Amino acid sequence: MIDLCGVSKSYRLGEVVLAVLKGVSLHIDAGEFVAIMGSSGSGKSTLLNVIGCLDTVDEGSYRLDDIAIESASEDELAALRNRRLGFVFQSFNLIPRINALRNVELPMIYHRVAPDERQRRAYAALKNVGLEDRAAHSPAKLSGGQQQRVAIARALINAPDIIIADEPTGSLDSASGHDIMYLFAQLHQQGKTIVMVTHENEIAAYAQRVIYLRDGVVEKDERR
Amino acid sequence: MIAFAGRSRHPESLASLSRGTSASLRDIASQAWWALKDNWLRSVLSVLGIAVGITAVMAVGTISKGGHYLVFSELETFGLKSVWVFRDRQDKDPHRAVRMGTGIDNDDYAVIRSGCCPAVKRVSPGIHDFGKRQIIRAGNRYSNASVEGVGSEYTIINNDTLVMGRSFRFEDEERRRPVAIIGPTPHADLFGAGQNPIGKEIRIGQQKYTVVGVLKAKSRGFLASIGSAGGQDANNRILIPYTLYQQQLGKKEINWLQAEAVSQDQADIAIAQISDTLKRRHGERFSYRGETMAQYIDTANRILQGVSLIGVVAASVSLLVGGLGIMNIMSTSVLERTREIGLRKAIGARRRDILLQFLAEAVFISTIGGVLGLLAGTLASYGLALATGFPLTPSMTMVAVALIVSIGVGVLSGYYPARRAAAMRPVAALRYE
Repeated sequence: MIDLCGVSKSYRLGEVVLAVLKGVSLHIDAGEFVAIMGSSGSGKSTLLNVIGCLDTVDEGSYRLDDIAIESASEDELAALRNRRLGFVFQSFNLIPRINALRNVELPMIYHRVAPDERQRRAYAALKNVGLEDRAAHSPAKLSGGQQQRVAIARALINAPDIIIADEPTGSLDSASGHDIMYLFAQLHQQGKTIVMVTHENEIAAYAQRVIYLRDGVVEKDERR
Repeated sequence: MIAFAGRSRHPESLASLSRGTSASLRDIASQAWWALKDNWLRSVLSVLGIAVGITAVMAVGTISKGGHYLVFSELETFGLKSVWVFRDRQDKDPHRAVRMGTGIDNDDYAVIRSGCCPAVKRVSPGIHDFGKRQIIRAGNRYSNASVEGVGSEYTIINNDTLVMGRSFRFEDEERRRPVAIIGPTPHADLFGAGQNPIGKEIRIGQQKYTVVGVLKAKSRGFLASIGSAGGQDANNRILIPYTLYQQQLGKKEINWLQAEAVSQDQADIAIAQISDTLKRRHGERFSYRGETMAQYIDTANRILQGVSLIGVVAASVSLLVGGLGIMNIMSTSVLERTREIGLRKAIGARRRDILLQFLAEAVFISTIGGVLGLLAGTLASYGLALATGFPLTPSMTMVAVALIVSIGVGVLSGYYPARRAAAMRPVAALRYE
């Protein structure tokens, strides 16, 4: 499903060119739950962004099923992210001025779902994460764990097949963190492909495969 | 176990994914609206900036319209089709220049009156006191009015109406009847404003006159203030038949002819025809000059255009400031909402969606400002209309211009910040602190 072949990526910081990914080749099958680990600066976030079609590569190729991502246009990538990828971030990234329900609806407005249908589906999604009675609350009135669950409902609303999660428990206490990972485990059971960056071993333990990155190359690829 | 609404999905091609995936204008508008509401104080302030600008635009329109009415209502008091013909005293020809006399006599008047000149509809002689100022009194009350000897059609030509009594008849000039029409100032001076002077006697010099009519007051305050009212007070006049005035002054001449052209366009032709007739009849012994109301109307229009231009520039500057205000708050907003833009892009917003959302915010601000400015401007123009009595309500064109201009300002000032937002890379935007 996800095929990376010799992917390199570097950033220019003033005069210095920083190679973040140095020829990463990786294959992830549909339905896998993968954790990417590594120290800071190892390139794990960049790799996740590349897999999530948020960032482009300098060298190498990335194929998502039959789609050559490196040659897709900006608008095509936007459509792809909208329909096939769901994003969960460490800092939740909810829009503060609109309530939980509206936040969950957001991906659907870029997919032209009719307003009635949108509301119905967003409400159902909130119910799935156990927050139907918080639909009208603004993000500021929700706990961190609740905010992350709203974000997960948003990530799932267009029924993507891949979940991209960047340290999803990084801002949560350990109990909320485990609640979120419990949701991830259920999603995995339902056949979603999950690619998650984390630096906590006990969070990585939920995944069946852990990829260790070091200085922009895959150091270890463990299946459990 | 929690059930997620996950339908099984087959890999789709890019083309089918891309189809139809962009937000509807309605959704973009509501996203923009929520954002504005969230920052309401900032939004209100920039709305006011545009409102002031549009009010200024409306004010310029109303004031120039008002100025037009003011000037034309005063110019009208001369009769818009009036022309004046008199001897050219600045004649370059030394033989003609030394000749005495006004170059116009009663026979000239009779010939022109009888229809020699097709462009002339009516004509009246004009006689002043030749420097011999007469004492005007009624009983023991005095007046300093200027006395004009005129023909029977003078009041029509000069656009004079009477509040009391009658105008002159042809017999009055033909038979040198001692009758007078007095302006509002001599009416007040000689009789008291409330009194009926019709049939009463006044004395001009040694001659007794019976008052037959009272002229309606004329407003020439604005023209007088720019020195265009002919140097005399239109309300402080007494009109008498020119024939009797000639006899009283011992003259046989006419100082000037005032005529009404058949139309405003024909005014210059009327002057040429009268001058030619006079020259021919006097064997080229004099040359003549004419003035038309059309010249004054042109001058007035030029002044009004100048004033309007200054106003347009001032209004444009205030709109520009309003537009820069929008650009400023939109740029701030784009910067503050960098992470939001990154998030929106991550979940599938395209460049176009982001561009339109921020553009919509700018256009909302400017359009609401435009409507407020329109209301304020309309109220102000109604106020001015009430105060001046001129019909100054804004026209549909003005309303349309104000709205189009305000929308235009929104688009122009919102475009640059919106484009910056739309061009952000999702990764960089999401990482922004």
